[in-house]
Amino acid sequence: MAEPIKRKDFLWLGWGAVAAFCGAATAATARFMVPNVLYEPSQKFNAGPAKEFPIGVSLLWFKKQRVWIVRTEKGIYSLWARCTHLGCTPNWFLDQNRFKCPCHGSNYTPDGDVVAGPAPKPLYRCKVEVAASGDLVIDKAALENRPGVREKAPYFVEV
Amino acid sequence: MADNNAPAAPNPAPQPAAAAPKLDMDALLKEATNNQVWKSMFRNWPWQDNARHRARHIVDNLWLHLHPTKVRPRALETTFTWGLGGLSFLLYLLLTVTGVLLMFYYRPTVELAYQDMKDLEFAVSFGIFLRNAHRWGAHGMVTIVILHMIRVFLTGSYKKPREFNWGVGVILLTLTLFLSFTGYLLPWDQLAIWAVTVGTNMAAATPLLGNEGPFANLLGMTISNDVRFVLLGGTTVGANTLLRFYVMHCVLVPLVTGALIMLHFWRVRKDTFSAAPREPNEEKLDVWPHLVVREYIAAAICIAFIFFVSVYFNAPLEEVANPNVTPNPSKAPWYFLGLQELLVYFDPWIAGVLLPGLIIKGLCAIPYLDTNPKGVGEYNWKDRPFANAVFMFGIAMWFILIAIGVYCRGPNYFWYWPWESWLIHKPAPPATWSFPIWAGLVSLAAYGGLGMALPRVLKGDIDWKKANWGFAVFALALGAFMGFKGIETWRIIVVDILLWLTFVFGFLYPQRHLKELDFTRYSVTQSLNLMMMGVLLKMGVRLGLDVKYILELPQFNLNI
Repeated sequence: MAEPIKRKDFLWLGWGAVAAFCGAATAATARFMVPNVLYEPSQKFNAGPAKEFPIGVSLLWFKKQRVWIVRTEKGIYSLWARCTHLGCTPNWFLDQNRFKCPCHGSNYTPDGDVVAGPAPKPLYRCKVEVAASGDLVIDKAALENRPGVREKAPYFVEV
Repeated sequence: MADNNAPAAPNPAPQPAAAAPKLDMDALLKEATNNQVWKSMFRNWPWQDNARHRARHIVDNLWLHLHPTKVRPRALETTFTWGLGGLSFLLYLLLTVTGVLLMFYYRPTVELAYQDMKDLEFAVSFGIFLRNAHRWGAHGMVTIVILHMIRVFLTGSYKKPREFNWGVGVILLTLTLFLSFTGYLLPWDQLAIWAVTVGTNMAAATPLLGNEGPFANLLGMTISNDVRFVLLGGTTVGANTLLRFYVMHCVLVPLVTGALIMLHFWRVRKDTFSAAPREPNEEKLDVWPHLVVREYIAAAICIAFIFFVSVYFNAPLEEVANPNVTPNPSKAPWYFLGLQELLVYFDPWIAGVLLPGLIIKGLCAIPYLDTNPKGVGEYNWKDRPFANAVFMFGIAMWFILIAIGVYCRGPNYFWYWPWESWLIHKPAPPATWSFPIWAGLVSLAAYGGLGMALPRVLKGDIDWKKANWGFAVFALALGAFMGFKGIETWRIIVVDILLWLTFVFGFLYPQRHLKELDFTRYSVTQSLNLMMMGVLLKMGVRLGLDVKYILELPQFNLNI
């Protein structure tokens, strides 16, 4: 007959099983809290004829899509109007040539660079392209803010 | 009451007519209580006014038995406890009752939540009153819980053997703030969505676990798998977030809070009231009626006050939430404005994660750091100069930050004095600059190293007056140098004052009072102290010199 299990080993086994169960239950609950399917609106939208945007900062889609469309002499880029500090929507001040955030006072240039306030990073630019119809298509899911990269396609489009 | 048509019931109201039978209340009461049903519910009936019955009144009663039967006379003095612990619990109950009632008319969906708020205001009888009472009660609970903590600190009631219960209290304070925070989203107005957007974006700045925090890439954190994503149930504050916050606000957090309140009360009983005897061998007093009466009077005054305020002042409700447009300025509720002000000077992972975490842990550590046995159960400033001064300095700092947020912040979160119109157009703020990396490392190392070493190494008592005169000379020299560099006078004054406060609380006080502490306690106490003063100094260099970062390591999202 095999040696009967020792009291000490039995306790280790029993409490070990309880601990394993609690750990697995916690992990499963944590995973349960992470949704697999989201019903959030699409981040891509058609902003209309690209050629019709004037030089400067356009507020045309600001309230509906939370982006500024900036046209320079060469082309168009689009800034995502989300402060890189804590996610508020900054406002455009034409007279001072700045974006200013209402939550903690960050200031940005039209390029998106931080000039004052607590924001740690430049504003993000969205992916932009001109469709065959001549419409400007903006994708807020593809973002870039590194100088040198953000000035090139697909975050800038010649118009 | 629609019982006009009911069959004639015996009317208990006294009748003016002489013919009516005389109503003998005493006899009626005897009739109602002298039977098996009544006596099965209330033991020891009939009630007699003697010591034994006064004690049984407490121990035989489910509601009252959380009290001891007798307390020290000092515990009954209004100016000892101010009734703050009991009032915190009262407001928890008031908020539960009003909250449950509001739940009958509120649906937590993006389409309906705001509409239900409007219905509560305009279409539901007493709806607006209940909403007001819930809102003002919540403000009251936050205030009173904070005041309760200050009271418990000043009477030394956290000292041995009550260390653990102080920690439970700190967690209850945190939960109170979290309850307010989760409740803030439910009206689904502009204030709600933006306060919660800012608050939850701080979670995204958590080191390692948030996608915008330091070292986020080590664990592969993105916008759709980090802690903020779990908190929101999505990538932005939306339908999932509203539902999650509703469940947390109405079920999860109140249950946890209730359980911890029970633990808190139970420990108060087991550890006994802290109130110190007024004289040796003094006699304790009966809780029934002395303490119970005082508690109920305090509760009645508190409820009357909340109801009065709720009749005359309506809880604000802004426009319906718009995830694209932020109100300008956008302010959190007042008790979070201190935190919001810190966020102006520090990166989110410091102001939103590190500092609040350190404040909570530091508060919990206080009873284990303070080895001074004096001043338990009494207000004693003489024997506890360091503990009281540093704690009250921290509290004052917190409320000054709140006051700045409430009164001094205007459009674009720019500094507007309370008497200035927000219509005045302020010039754009000056550009900020950062230290080079070597200078940042040197200044941080010097501040930490000297701050930790000097108070410990310098023996003997430094003469208070001489030290301050010495500092004054230094401050004048520094001011003259800065003036010579063309820096405005007000900036020089700000820098000098904050340096002086750091000198006094970060060096002189610890040098005088922390020398005797063992090495571990000294290290923890002084590093927490230096961290608090460091917050002030960073504010000073930002306001005074437009410094953005002392140390800037953007490749790790690590900026100080």
